[in-house]
Parts: sequence; C-alpha cells; structure tokens
Amino acid sequence: MAFIELRDLWFSYSPESEPVIKNINLDIEKGSYTAILGHNGCGKSTLAKLACGIIPPGKGKVFVDGIDTADESRAFDVRKKCGMVFQNPDNQLVASIVEEDVAFAPENLGLPRKEIRKRVDEALATVDMSAYAKHATNKLSGGQKQRVAIAGMLAMGPECIVFDEATAMLDPAGRKEIAEAMKRLNSEIGMTVITITHYMSEAVEAGRVIVMNDGEIAADGTPEEIFSQVEKLRSISLAVPQVTELMYELERDGYGFPRGILHAMDAADAIESAVREARR
Amino acid sequence: MLKDITFGQYYPGDSILHRADARIKIIILIEYMIIALAARSLLAVAVSVAFTVFLVVASKIKPGLLLKSVKPLIFVLIFTAAINLFFTAGEGDPVVHWNFINIYREGIVNALLMAVRLLSLVLGSSVLLSFTTTPLDLTDAIESLLSPLKKLKVPVHEFAMMMSIALKFIPTLIEETNKIISAQKARCADFDSGNIFRRVKALIPVLIPLFVSAVKRAEELADAMECRCYHGGEGRTRLKELKSRPGDYVFLLCATAITAGVILLNSITTQEVFDFCKTLFS
Repeated sequence: MAFIELRDLWFSYSPESEPVIKNINLDIEKGSYTAILGHNGCGKSTLAKLACGIIPPGKGKVFVDGIDTADESRAFDVRKKCGMVFQNPDNQLVASIVEEDVAFAPENLGLPRKEIRKRVDEALATVDMSAYAKHATNKLSGGQKQRVAIAGMLAMGPECIVFDEATAMLDPAGRKEIAEAMKRLNSEIGMTVITITHYMSEAVEAGRVIVMNDGEIAADGTPEEIFSQVEKLRSISLAVPQVTELMYELERDGYGFPRGILHAMDAADAIESAVREARR
Repeated sequence: MLKDITFGQYYPGDSILHRADARIKIIILIEYMIIALAARSLLAVAVSVAFTVFLVVASKIKPGLLLKSVKPLIFVLIFTAAINLFFTAGEGDPVVHWNFINIYREGIVNALLMAVRLLSLVLGSSVLLSFTTTPLDLTDAIESLLSPLKKLKVPVHEFAMMMSIALKFIPTLIEETNKIISAQKARCADFDSGNIFRRVKALIPVLIPLFVSAVKRAEELADAMECRCYHGGEGRTRLKELKSRPGDYVFLLCATAITAGVILLNSITTQEVFDFCKTLFS
C-alpha cells in the first residue's frame, strides 16, 4: 500500500464549473521525493490540497496512510501525518516569535510541555534556525521565514510534507535554502516530500516528476525520462531545464549525446568527452 | 508616516518588565491608567510621572523607539492641550487677553496636565505591555484573566487568538499599505493635496486593495492553521506556561500602593504642601 493513494479522483470548486481535477489515479510511496510540475491553473495546487486532506475529494477517494480523507472524524489523523508548507511565508506564521510559532502545532496536539520543548528544538535544528529561536518572525528574510514554517510542520511530527510553491515568493538565495532543506529532509530523515513548483531546477532534484496539464497527469517518470521529452513539455507550455535544452539543441544539430542529462557538470563532461573524441 | 506606528510591536529584550508575568502586567496597566487619569494635584502628578519614568527605565527600551511611539500622537497632544488652554474659563483675571482670546491660569494648568497625562498613558502602556510582552503571552494572559467567563459560554480562547493574530499582522499590513500607496502613487494618485475631504477620499484606492488582500491572507492563514491541527482551545497545551514569581507580586503590591497614594494625594492641595514644608523648616 502506498502512503498517499488517489483513486479515480475528480474535483471542482463549484457544481457548475469545469472540474479542476479529472480522473486522477496516483500513488505516492513512503520516503519518496516527488515534484509536481505544471503551468498556472493546471490543478497542481488543488491536487496537493486534496492529497493532504485539506479539501475533501469531489468524486473518488483519497487515502493517506490508509485513512480516507473524506472521513471527517479522522481529519485530525490525516493532518498529523501530512503537513503542508504554503507559498506566502507571512500568511502561515501564527506567532510573532520564532519558537512560539514552531510550538503552535504540538500545542494544538496537546503534548506535555517537555515534549513540545524537545520537538521545537529539534525542528529548529533540522532547518538550521536554532540561533533565531527568540527572534521576531517579521524581521526574518523570506527564506528564513519559510524555514520557520518548515520547522513548524516538522514539530507536528508528520510523515509527509507537501510544499505548495513554497519557493515562488523567494529570492534566488532563499529559493536555494529551501530547495536544500527539502532535499535534506528527504535524504536524511526519510521524510516523504512532495513539491509543487514551476522551477525546473527544483524538479530535477526529485526522484520522480509528475507533469500536470488541464487537470490530468500528462507525464509521470524519473526526471531523466520526463525532461528528455522536450517537444511534449513545450506542447503543454512548460519550459525544460536549461541544460536539457542545450543538449536537445545539440542533438538536433546532429551531435550524438546520451539523453536525460540534467545537471550542468554532467553536460560539461559529456561535451568534453565529445570534443576529445572529435580531435582524435 | 506609517513607518512610525510602533503600537502593538514587541521588542525582544531582557529586563524586569520583559520577565514579569503578563497577567500581573495587565492588572498593573489598569492601575497605571487610574493613576495617570486620576492624578490632579501637583504631588499626585509628580508621583505618576515618577512611576512612568521608573517603568521606562526599567524596560530598557531605547529612547529612540519611545520617541517614535509618541511621534504620531504629537498632533493629538497639541490639539488637546490647545483646547484646554483656550477653553478653560477660570476665576480671576485672564493671564493673557487679546481680542476674544482669554487664557486663564487654570487653562495653562489644565493644558499641561492633559499633555502629561496623555504622554504618560502612551509611554506607560507601551513599555508596560506592548513593547515588553510577546503577543502570545499577552493573549495567554488575557485568556487566563478572563477564563472565569468561560463558564458563561463566552468564547474567551477564540477572542484571545483573534487578538494575537491581529497584533501579529500589524507590521505585515503596514508594510502592505506602504506598498499599495507607492503603487498608487506610481499611477499618479495624489495623497498630499486638497482639503481634508479630498485626502480622505484619495485613500479609498488604498483601503480597498488592502481589505481584499487582508481577506485573502485570512483565508490562507486559516488553511495553514488547520494544517497544523488547530481546533480551538480545547485540549491545547502551552510551550510556556504563565508563571508568576514572588517578585511579580511585590511589583503588583507596589503599584497598588502607588495607586492608593495618588488618590489620597489628590485631596492634598499644593497650598497645603507648601504650608507643610514651611512648618517643617521653621
């Protein structure tokens, strides 16, 4: 059984409007790192909210660790298992002092004070914000605020965190901070990470990429598989990572390169060896 | 102009006032307001001013910040002082008489008294509560003080949570307002000319986007809070429990004594004080 299971899922915000999610079947495995790509309005944020049980499914079923999210009486259990980090850092911090904000979720769970303290300290250490525990949240940079938001989720003790365009409002430095934090969460503590983004450079880091278009899954596979289909991505108005685009253009001009090169250093190696080959 | 609003902002620090129990601070603030408003005789005013100075010094808040908190009130201060100065009719001859303007001795005293009162109210409540108490402590304290009302089915926790969020969002919304003002200025909006009615009207294009965005923020915040398992005050625990130490009670006792003292001192007139001093030294 997969950690999150979506079964024949349909969803629309009002009965008369066009459905935003059309018949999606999807399994997210425990401990995996998944990126969901798609242009604005393709339903990727809705899909994330459905997967966390913030909104109940219209038609079909959503299971989080075997729990049906439509079951109101267990909404609490679903939320505890699956956290979510939102786009705007200002709109998800509840308290004005860092550690008080991180403590919000464990407080809601009614944990004893010692346990709250422990979780807050651990969560802040994980996102490398321990030094800021007593600082005011509104004086932090965007990336730091978003790290506090992540710590706030970690303190709840979830098994999965969904990042709903968590880097969209950050500057490049902040974006890098958060991308690294996501990667670390997945590789070091085995957190199931789902990131919704339109930055290709972030999707490249994931283990699995799902491309959404018009409420449906347009492609699903490893980053190498997805980004080698340059024409297909362009047809649904998505850009490809710059490195992949370069390799694609070179290949079209008749240079033979292996497909699925995603990182700049790999590309440099491939080009170097090709140049050596040609000299010989 | 909006940059200067410091109301409701917490300044981290480590002073007696930062460490004091927020519940005690609220009670002392009520007493403090009584002191500031009741003080009428010279001696009582002197005591209330001394108490204010003590609070300001004890808070270790930088004087620059305090000035900032007073700055937006300068207009109100001058206005009330002026009204008191010109419109207090006194016995005896006016000190200044020019055309229809009469300024009496009582008017000058009243104007000064009013200015001192307002100033100490603002300074005292800032350093006693908002500058030195985190919004969460503040709301915890209010919740704790009002908790007897829970028995009457008053939603005390919800009220406290609403207040803490409102306080937390003041700096965010001020920043947003400044951004909107700049954006509207870039489209040739004029906020600085015309009479008062025109200026108020000019603010409408600022207020509407501000409200829209505030509602959107509220929706997002509600989602984020739900995500973190928020479900009202029931079964909620706290990272920091409010704890009052013996020192807090000493503080409270002193403040109560000062309040009683000020009310008593009010009945002693300045003349009596002079007389008393005379008998003391003769």
